[in-house]
Amino acid sequence: MSTVDDIKLALRRSRKQAEEDLFTPRGILLFLGVVATLLVPLFAGPYLQGVVLQMYIFFLAVASWNFIAGYFGMFSFTHAALFGIGGYATAVSALELGVNPIVAIVIGGVAGGLFSLPITIPALRLGGSYLAMVTLAYAEIIHLAAISFRDITGGPTGLTGFTAMFGGSRFQFFYFTVAVVGLFLAVQYVLTVSRFGLIARAIRESEDAAQMLGNNTYRHKLAGFFVGSALAGVAGGLQVYNVLIISPQMLQINQMIRFMAMTVIGGIGIFSGPIVGVVAVLGLSELLRGFTSIRLLIWGFLLLIIILFAPNGIMGSSVQSDLLKEQANTVRNALRGDSK
Amino acid sequence: MVETLLLLQQIINGLLFGGQLALVAIGLTLIWGVTRILNFAHGAMFMLGGYAGFFAYEFTGSLLVAIPVAALALFVIGVGTEVLVVRQLRDRDNTEIAAIIGTFAIAVIAENLMRYLYQTDRRSIPTLTTGIWQFDQIILIKEQVLMFTLALVSLGVLFAVIRYTKLGMAMRAVAQDTDTARLMGIRSDRIYALTFGVSAALAGLAGVLLSNTYSIYPGVGWRPFLFAFIVVIIGGLGSVRGTLLAALFIGVFRSLSLTFISSQQAEMLLFLVMIAILIVRPTGIGGVIDS
Repeated sequence: MSTVDDIKLALRRSRKQAEEDLFTPRGILLFLGVVATLLVPLFAGPYLQGVVLQMYIFFLAVASWNFIAGYFGMFSFTHAALFGIGGYATAVSALELGVNPIVAIVIGGVAGGLFSLPITIPALRLGGSYLAMVTLAYAEIIHLAAISFRDITGGPTGLTGFTAMFGGSRFQFFYFTVAVVGLFLAVQYVLTVSRFGLIARAIRESEDAAQMLGNNTYRHKLAGFFVGSALAGVAGGLQVYNVLIISPQMLQINQMIRFMAMTVIGGIGIFSGPIVGVVAVLGLSELLRGFTSIRLLIWGFLLLIIILFAPNGIMGSSVQSDLLKEQANTVRNALRGDSK
Repeated sequence: MVETLLLLQQIINGLLFGGQLALVAIGLTLIWGVTRILNFAHGAMFMLGGYAGFFAYEFTGSLLVAIPVAALALFVIGVGTEVLVVRQLRDRDNTEIAAIIGTFAIAVIAENLMRYLYQTDRRSIPTLTTGIWQFDQIILIKEQVLMFTLALVSLGVLFAVIRYTKLGMAMRAVAQDTDTARLMGIRSDRIYALTFGVSAALAGLAGVLLSNTYSIYPGVGWRPFLFAFIVVIIGGLGSVRGTLLAALFIGVFRSLSLTFISSQQAEMLLFLVMIAILIVRPTGIGGVIDS
């Protein structure tokens, strides 16, 4: 089968799956939520608009971590660092080379992907815990590099002074971000529904079995990690144009804790999990503005409680009821068949 | 001639540092070896050990009391972590990831709780002794030699326990094959809890002993924790002897490279060495020694 056929098949399958997903109660709720956020710049003030914009950027960053960790089971601690690398690459190419902002964001994505390779090529042959250790160490090295290579990164204070996109129009930037994030989330959705995503889940469940079925698991993991990291890089580029400053803080371990808390709270390995997680965590932290000092403490406790008592997060915690509904449907269909 | 002396001095400093590093890394490797769980709260245990030692010293005024108290306190915390959190995650499908998230959450909680309670002030404990020994131009700081000796003695006790006692035999049995070990009447749950306790106690001990190098503040655990990562990856996760050797090697490597480059660059270089070793020998050097 040619690549074009493969893509056609994947698109057909994702359309079917998307229709199915959309007409569940949860899908409808999520859809209405997305529509509501699209109306925010028209009706709400700049504060709420800023919060929603930040949520959209985090959707992409967190969903791409979910892609790596949730679908493939590759527990990467480098994600926040690659998010930052994307930001730095965008900032440097905009500042030093003067490229167009949109191109700069693409460069950020490519940089995020490329910087994943030094760690994935040696480490992806190892087990999950090794990978977690190595990626955490790598993240720290990137953090150190961001601080110490002053000529490129501006040292601890970082880089500022690039021109905002669309002549500083927050309104246009909002819809630009929504469009970019929407596009890449759609790409990720197609990937998770297609054969690629199936192999990803097979690798997560049992890498040996997936390999025995004739899949080059190493190459799939490498590609998956690259795609996820590139998406993080794009999110980093968007973030740079959102806040118009980049400093080593952006790629610190605290950022990683946030990404992780968002994914796990929303539901790891579920497509809508990160979206719900971002809204829950960012919404909560907006409410907790007065308690900045204990925010991380609260996230730590949330992580612990979720992993102990609801390991599938908010979106996955009622899988049982879905199962029941499915069974009820089969029974109903069988009865209908009898009555005919 | 001066050059050689300088290098010799750096090698000695490196060995002293490596011995203390081994204390942190051995705990990490021990938990992995016996329970197949990577404890991401290990750095937090190191930090808590420092605080426990500090408060014990404030209360009693004696360092000789404070050091064992810190180790004991962390033993209790380690057992508590295993029983309350890690044990609950053990029989899941995805234990490995659940354990990483669970222990990482504990690390986040511990660090931020301490930050909330005691802010980010740096605290320190006075040294046991002062003064130096000088041989020709080689200088040995007495305190460091003492700490190195304490570290080696603790590791020696640990080796002896693992090698020659019934408890150690039970640990090795559980590490090799949990099911068979349980059939032989070993209560694997107890062994797991004990291993966590011992490992946390070692981290806590390191937290007190190294408090003069790193001082005591809520985020102090991350740096030695990352060093411990590099050590266990080079030494081979789960191999106690490999870890010890790797710790000494890294201590020497770090202090030698410090004479030529900055400490940040030295850490980056160390990381590159780790990657190189991963490519050449994914299981670390441990396999060779233990087999």
